[in-house]
Amino acid sequence: MDFLTEFPSLGKRDLRDLKKGIDGSFREWSRTYGDGIEAFFDPLYFFLVWLEKLLIATPWPLILIILAGLAYLGSRSWKLAAGSVISFLLIGYFGMWKDMMATISLISVATLICIAVGIPIGILMSRYDRVQSAVTPILDLMQTIPIFVYLLPVVMLLGIGRVPGLIAVCVYALPPIIRLTNLGIRLVDKEILEAADAFGSSYRQKLFEVQLPLALPNIFAGVNQTIMMALAMVVIASMIGVKGLGMPVLQAVQNQYLTLGLMNGLAIVALAIIFDRVSQRYGQRLQAHRFGKEHE
Amino acid sequence: MYKLFMSTVVAGVLTLAGQAYAACGSLSMADMNWPSATLMANVDKIILEEGYGCEIEMVAGATTTTFASMNEKGQPDVAAELWINAVREPLFKAMDEGRLHSAREMPITDLGEGWWVPDYVLKNHPELKTVLDILERPDLFPAKEDPSKGEFIGCPAGWGCQLSNINLFRAFKMEDKGWILTDPGSQAGLDASMAKAVDRKDNWFGYYWAPTAPIGKFNMQLMPFGVPFAGADNWDGCIAKAEQDCADPKPSAWTKSEVHTIVTTNFKETGGADAMGYFAKRIFPGPIMNKMLVYMEDNQANGPDAAIEFLIKYEDIWTPWVSADVAKKVKGSL
Repeated sequence: MDFLTEFPSLGKRDLRDLKKGIDGSFREWSRTYGDGIEAFFDPLYFFLVWLEKLLIATPWPLILIILAGLAYLGSRSWKLAAGSVISFLLIGYFGMWKDMMATISLISVATLICIAVGIPIGILMSRYDRVQSAVTPILDLMQTIPIFVYLLPVVMLLGIGRVPGLIAVCVYALPPIIRLTNLGIRLVDKEILEAADAFGSSYRQKLFEVQLPLALPNIFAGVNQTIMMALAMVVIASMIGVKGLGMPVLQAVQNQYLTLGLMNGLAIVALAIIFDRVSQRYGQRLQAHRFGKEHE
Repeated sequence: MYKLFMSTVVAGVLTLAGQAYAACGSLSMADMNWPSATLMANVDKIILEEGYGCEIEMVAGATTTTFASMNEKGQPDVAAELWINAVREPLFKAMDEGRLHSAREMPITDLGEGWWVPDYVLKNHPELKTVLDILERPDLFPAKEDPSKGEFIGCPAGWGCQLSNINLFRAFKMEDKGWILTDPGSQAGLDASMAKAVDRKDNWFGYYWAPTAPIGKFNMQLMPFGVPFAGADNWDGCIAKAEQDCADPKPSAWTKSEVHTIVTTNFKETGGADAMGYFAKRIFPGPIMNKMLVYMEDNQANGPDAAIEFLIKYEDIWTPWVSADVAKKVKGSL
């Protein structure tokens, strides 16, 4: 009866040897190729360091003007630009300026990487069903696997600090942009595509002139989600030594410093809201420009 | 005559049976939730049971909860590895009142917190004898961010030791000497940064504590600070506080962590002089303890498994703790 109540499993010893074997070969592999892989990521690392130092070294009024300008250019809304200036002033006034610059540099680089990698993958997925069925489970994995499960091997390989933090952020923030690009292109009206075919457009023309513009609302929703998720990962990234607003949050959580936690948490929220509103408005404006006018 | 004979025999048997237990009694022992403590408790259990005829029941525990229970209810009877910094005041009060007793101060040697380097650093640079020597050589520990600076890995954000490390970093004027302090963010980050450096034979300099498996696994060496402990006022009143509450930190060796084996009055009485005498002699050498922790981690061994492994493998360590007679009994039971 033991057979029915005890699940037939690999023996304790075999299981241990299996785990040790895999751990050992990973160590071996990381020892052999670690330096090379680290060197591969070095340009990214130095770019991150450079950007952060640049942001911190730049006089704060200049940063404020640039950020307000970007907010206005993106959204064409004075209210939003003024709102972001006030939030940044408050964040700086409460002593979080340096941390905020570190976070902004990480989040903007992460978002750019996610967009640069995500949109092409999304396009491929929408074109080939086979790619879609291969990539979807990977995206599911990226979104659900507990973060430290892949973070520790990455840290063993690259050390603590910005690059593993960036990888962690990207693994988590990449799926929405891929999914929504794919979805957006697939949702484009078949009849419009037929019309494009009828005009004899090539695949490239169809993609860039028809599908992508019509998929823009979804793609922008994806960009938006990517930014949000990247910001949500700031605290996790701090757990492997990334500087920024996440570090004080960790400190606050461990010591029940309620105010410190709340202040830094709210600063992350403020960044999220600003990034979100600006990118959404920008997305809306792009579409108004693309086809809103023609219909007017 | 027959009656007398029988009663003598019965009395004799009773005395004999009684003797086996007379030396000891039925006791409870805390099985703390970290590896070195559970190993020690299980070693104690085997030796006290097999060698001294005690009956020991294990009770799961953690520092503050176990101490509170010992203090309030006198149960469990033994805490093999109690870090007293967290419970200092009530513990000393209970000791003054004679309810709790320290059976052994520092049951593990080389224990505590401090700044460590891997052994090969010292082998390649024998001139580095103290922390002060290391501080003069930031070039040996280049930070990735800025290779002209040395990198010191501190304690994870939010831990008590984070403040002590930040303040010591200031006290030793490390920034002026060309060092940066990196916050590893979590214990996982700290462990991984050490593991990565040792795997690649890179130099590593940072905070850790013993007894722990990483210290044993990577042969980390605790660096003497090269300055004396600069007094409790400096430590408790400044180094251990937030940066803004510590205006003028003085260089200091790390404060001593105090660990005791604490027993109740009940243990002292039922266990008797024998058991107390055993605890008085029982000291685990730090390097051996670290090796045992590595063994436990590598083999995912629990406390009882590890205790048997220890008793078999390190006979020369534990046999001097007990009489030859007891040692024989314990060996016979393995």
